[in-house]
This record gives sequence, C-alpha cells and structure tokens, in this order.
Amino acid sequence: MSEEALRKNTVANRLRHGGESGLRRLMALRRALNLVFFWEKKFFFIAMLVGAGMLSLPLPDDLSHEGLVVLTMSVVATILFVTEPVPLPTVALMIIVAQVLLLGIDSTKVAKSLMTDSVLFIMGSLMLAVAVVKQKLDKRIAWFIVRLTGTRTARICFGISLVSGLLASFIGEHTVAAMMLPVGITLITLTSDDPKKVRNLAAVLLFSISYGCSVAGIGTPSGGARNAIMIGYWKEFFFDPTNPETQKFIVDYLKWMMYAYPMFLVQLPFVTLILLFTFRPEYRDLARAVVKLRAQIEAEGPMKGADWVSIFIFFLILVGWIGLSGDIGMGTVAILGAAAFLVAGLVRWEDVNNGVNWGVVLLYAAAISLGLQMKDSGAAAWVASNFLALLEPMGFGEGIGLWGAVSALTTAVTNMMSNGAAVAVLGPIVLNLADAAGESPLVIGFITAVSSAFAYLTVVGTPACTIVYASGYLKTTDFLVVGWKMVVMSIAIMLAAAWVYWPLLGV
Amino acid sequence: MSEAIPEGSGMEVDTTAERRFRILVCIDGSDESYRGLRYAAKLGGGVDADIVLVYVRPIDQGLRSGGLQVRVARENMLKWGLELPGIKYLKKGQEILEELGVMGGPDWREESFHVNVAGDPLGDNKIQFVNEHGKMVVLKLKVAPDIATGILEQWEIGHYDLIIIGASERWRKRRVKTFWDPAVAEKIAVHAPCSVLVARELEAGHGHLICVDGSERALEAVRTDAILASRCQCPVSLLSVSLDEEGEADARKAVEDAARALADMGIEVNETLTRVGDPVDEIIEAGPDYSLVVLADSGSTGLKRFFMGSVAFKVMENAYNSVMIVR
Repeated sequence: MSEEALRKNTVANRLRHGGESGLRRLMALRRALNLVFFWEKKFFFIAMLVGAGMLSLPLPDDLSHEGLVVLTMSVVATILFVTEPVPLPTVALMIIVAQVLLLGIDSTKVAKSLMTDSVLFIMGSLMLAVAVVKQKLDKRIAWFIVRLTGTRTARICFGISLVSGLLASFIGEHTVAAMMLPVGITLITLTSDDPKKVRNLAAVLLFSISYGCSVAGIGTPSGGARNAIMIGYWKEFFFDPTNPETQKFIVDYLKWMMYAYPMFLVQLPFVTLILLFTFRPEYRDLARAVVKLRAQIEAEGPMKGADWVSIFIFFLILVGWIGLSGDIGMGTVAILGAAAFLVAGLVRWEDVNNGVNWGVVLLYAAAISLGLQMKDSGAAAWVASNFLALLEPMGFGEGIGLWGAVSALTTAVTNMMSNGAAVAVLGPIVLNLADAAGESPLVIGFITAVSSAFAYLTVVGTPACTIVYASGYLKTTDFLVVGWKMVVMSIAIMLAAAWVYWPLLGV
Repeated sequence: MSEAIPEGSGMEVDTTAERRFRILVCIDGSDESYRGLRYAAKLGGGVDADIVLVYVRPIDQGLRSGGLQVRVARENMLKWGLELPGIKYLKKGQEILEELGVMGGPDWREESFHVNVAGDPLGDNKIQFVNEHGKMVVLKLKVAPDIATGILEQWEIGHYDLIIIGASERWRKRRVKTFWDPAVAEKIAVHAPCSVLVARELEAGHGHLICVDGSERALEAVRTDAILASRCQCPVSLLSVSLDEEGEADARKAVEDAARALADMGIEVNETLTRVGDPVDEIIEAGPDYSLVVLADSGSTGLKRFFMGSVAFKVMENAYNSVMIVR
C-alpha cells in the first residue's frame, strides 16, 4: 500500500467510522491537521478575522459606530503588536490608512495628528542616544565605576547598576545599555574564556546593566518614550486653558522627577540583591579582570577636548529639559540637542541615520494618534466604564485595589509588546477609568507609565533587555527566572509610593 | 539582505565536476548539536565529503530596542575588541573535528571570507579549511532574520546532501508554545530540499531503522540511506507497518522489496520487521533500539500537507530518538 493511500485510509476511516466517539474523531482530525503553510503569517489572518467579527457585531447601546471602529482598530493593532506576523511599522501604516478609510477622517487631519511634541521628543532623544553612544565615554565611565567600587563582585554589580541607572534616568535606557554592555562583557571575558564557567557571573553583570537601566527609565520624562506619551495624554485629555484648576495636569520635567525619582533610587539596592541571590556568581572577587580592564582604559589617555564639549552639550540639554520644557516643549529641546551635536561635528549624520530605527518613530506616532481617537470617539470611556463594572464586584473599584489592577494590566501588556506602544494604547482607557472611578488621573497615569517599565520577563520587553540579549550570553529563560522577582519588588514599591509618598506631594 | 547573496554565491558553490557529499551541521552550543557533529564526522570521514558547521545569529535589529538600533551597541562592542556570539561555539566544533582526526595537520590550508549583509554591520563570515585532496571543512557564522531562514539560505548557496540539526526541546513539553512559534528544526525539516537528520541523543553504532510502505518514494529513500549507512558502516534494519491484519501481506512485501533493492546494491540487511497498528505509534515504539529512524518524506505538498499532515513529520516530532527524513 502506498503511503498516500495508507494515510487517506487512516484519516478517512477514522472519521467515517460511526462507532468511534466524537472526541476520538476530533482527536483523529487534530492529529491529521498539520498547519504548515500560512504558519508565519497566521496571526495576521486571525487578527483580520477578529477585526471583521467585531465590526459585524451589533452596536452596544452606549457606543457610537466610530467608537466601535476605533476599538476594533486597537484590538487588531494589539494582536499584531504582540504576535508580530508583519514588521511592526506595517501596523503603524495600517492604523493611518484605517483612520482614513474606516473612520472617514480627512487625510490631512490624520497626517497632522501623527506629529506631536511627544513624537518629536521620541525622535530627538533617539538621535541624542546615538550621538552619546558615539562619544566613547564608556571607558571613562567604566574606569569611574571600578575606582569607586573596588574588586568585590557584589560591589561591582551595585556600582554598575547605580551608574547605569543614574545615567539612564536622564539619557534613556537604550543609550546606557549600549554604552555599558561592552564593559560588562569585557569583565566577563577577562575573568574566563569559557562561557560555561562564568554563566552566573555573566548573568549577574549583564542583568545589573539592563535592570539598572530599566528601573531608572521611570525616573524622568526623558528616561523613556512612554513617559513622554503619558505627559502628552494628560495635557490632551484634561488640560483646559480656561480653567486654572486643570493647570495641575501640565506635568513638567521637575514635577515628574519629584514623583518618580525616589522610586527609582529605592529600587536600586533591591536589584543587586535579587540578582546576587538568584544567580550566585562563581567568582566573589574580580581583581584579575579589573586590573586588566584598568590597563585597557589607561591606554586611552586623558579626556580630550571633544569629550568635554559633548559632556557640556549634554548638560545644556538637561538644563533645557528642566528649565525650558514647560515653555517650548520637551521635544523641541531634544531635537535642539541633536542639532547641537551635529553642528559641533561630534557625530556624523550617517551614524545617526543608521543608528535610529525610524520605524519606531512612525509606530509611536500612529499609536498616539490612535489613542487620541480612542478618546474622541468615546471608545476609551466605554471600555473604561465596562472594565470598572467588572472590577467593582471584586473590590478593585477604587483606591489601592484599582491601582493594583491597573498596574497588573499594564505589566501584563507591556511584557508582550514594546512598552511605549503599551502606554499609547492603554493610556486613554486607564485615564478614563480614573475619571469614572473618581480617582486622580495623575496617580493612575503615573501607575500606568511606571508599570510599563516592569517588562523584566521577556527579551523584547524593554530596550535595555533587547540590547543586553544581543551579547549572546543570556538565555530567554534567564529573564523569566529573575524577572518575576523584579516585577513583584517593583509593584510593591510603586504601590507603597502611591499610597504613602504621592499624597505628601498633594495629588 | 538577499541582494548580498548572489555576490557570495559565486565563490561558495562547489564548482568541481565531481559530486561531493556535503553535510551541513547546525551548531548552537548545545551538547546535542555536538553529538550531531560527531555523527557527521563519522559520515563525512572520507575524502569525498565536506562538513560545514553553521551558527546563525539573529540580525541585530532595533525595532524592539525602543528605536535605537542594536548595531550601535554591536559596533561599540567591536570597538572594545569583543567577539560576536557564536565564534566560541564554532571553534569548539573545530576542536572536536580535530580530536576525531577528521581535520588538522600540515596539509590543511585555511582561508577566510566575508560577505556583506544589508541591515547588519558585520555580515556573514566564514573560515574554510581545505586539504590537498579537496576535502573541505567550513566554519560559518551567519546572520539572518531568524535561525531557520539562515540555515535554509545556507542550503541554497551550498546545496548540501544532509542537514543535521538538534531536536527542539519544545516538542515534547509544550504544544501551545509550538503553535506560537514553530520550532527551528520543524521549519528546516519542512522546507529543506535535502535530507534532514533531527538529532536527539544521537549516538553512532546502533544502526539505521528504515521505514518503508511499498511506495517508489520509500524505495528511493532506502537506496539513499543505504549509501549513508555504508559510509558509517552502520547495520541496516527494515520496518513496515500495516494498519490492520489484512494489510500485513502488503507490508511484508514492501519490506522484502526493499531488502532486495539493498541486496542489489551489495548491502546486507540486518533484520526485517513488520508491525500492525498506527504507523506513527509503531515506528516511535520501535525506534529507541536504533541510532536513527529513517523515513521518506511523504512528498505531499501545499494544501494536501496543510490538511493531511504526514507520518514522517509526526514521527519526527514525537520520536524518542533521532529521526532522518530522506528526500
């Protein structure tokens, strides 16, 4: 019997035989199915089917047709963000097209809604990130760290987390991760050539960098794109120039820092403790590696003029963010800084052009524009009121219960997709939720923006994790092993801050 | 990235008239991949065989890194003099081959090549060792959007006879996970145009179990595998499974035909077996006594495979030991 006939026999027989139970027949069919083709793009089709299904549902009473369309778009976009069957910027393009075709909005209006100060800020800080990495200041920083900490492994780890964190809170986590990664790997390779012998040491050092950067990303608005997006939403949703009461929804650089910076500082020691207890490095002292590293760094010679100029420019940008961003916008300061680096000749445009993934800018622009549509069409308010109705019977309708629920929701979403996109999609919903539940939108907004930094579980979660993973020393499972402890620690500290510290600032 | 391949293909494709036996071993640093390499060394020990070790690293892409390209970090690492991931694993592979006596010694020449790949600052790199008889061992560090694509691209420029790859850990444990992201070995086995050996606790010396069903395709597979088995002097056994008692005679005939075909080639068959039952289950049960289970690819493609599946693939996914799908 040929294999062909044999197989036909098996499946056809098993399906035809009336004697077998329905379950067995189902099992036979399941074994026979082998979805090989369309495999890679399957989620695209699933997302499209879900979208078509949602659009053909009867309209709920309190939701407009536009609301349903926008809601469908966000659900489809979220599925595509998480499963990535198509390149992510494609999703951005589809959002733009859908706004014109499905919602019937004028295309010029859609195009205008794409560019906001938040998007300019994201674009500018990416260019700054490349400029800063290109300055080769990493060796100076490494030298500073080892001089500060000595040679004990635990102290070096804390030093790396501390310095990475302090820098990352101002210049963005991906910048610092890219700068510090070679420092970490150099220490590992100088300790031992065999990756198997230094597995735990490698994990501790590299996670010190990535988690140090991740916990710092919440510290200031320039720490991550998500913070800028939330600031944009507050202003867009709640600020009314005619009402002085709403002035508090204009959150500037310093105000953000007052709320979030202490949280970052409290988290830092826990990062080192969690890492050391989880991985238990093979070497307690890295004296040999540190001595060799020091020799490498000393070969660089003293600081040069260009180094000082770049530090000076960066200092000016920081002053601009703190002092001027209220008047001219954070985005303007960021692109001014990028222009200054280019004018001073400290970075070539080619490097900036190659180093920035412009698709991300497009992605955030489209996600924010969709978020604003969520608000305008009433979809966000509808989801928020339904979500609240779901939470209330469980006792999560207000206060710390609601905060915890929002935080858990954000953490879950952010671990599956880019955290900026998570905030852009969730922001309008949770801010409406706060409104409906009578909570302060500021507190809920902070909780969402801060929780979106808790993407410790996956490689794609935060930029710093992705970059550190490129070293090839870590496994994806390592992120899970240590990540959940970090999530628990971070949520606990954040809820404590929301309960005890923020009321002191008068929310 | 695809633009870069034609540029490299000129020098990569073996242009010698004589057909050489080429084995592609996928290295990922795991013990399983080195066991696969040892087996490859056994198969490819002769002068007319080439062994290519490939490590595929994902392209450094920046979409997930919040917009800063990973290449910025990579370039920074290179400035510090740090190696790419994978180089160590390939070097260990080379050491294993030297230890087994497949390569090493004064008559081996060494050359290195580099091919630019758009989207990645470092591109593909390879070191090629050739001895005076033309036998080649290649260490290749390849970059590709994902691992399976990289391995398949490597086949296109090299045209291999056999790909050896470690089994995916995910098959046994989590079906949900495979739905989310099909395992690399599965992708290779489905798409590769040549025979694929999925290594699982692979160990030489226990012989091949060739499964036949009486079709011409299976006979062809028997002939192909016989050549392989003769390379490593492995004993060959034959198995055919019939669905019910009535089919048993057909099964026995299939086994006998195959044994005759092997006898014509001058290869002795160790034992012949026939079983009754579900082909997938029976083959999986019989498998562990042998080094590897050999099956013919069913040859159904497109929609047919989409709906009907294939015995070969189910055995590959669920077997306890190594499985080779012959094409």
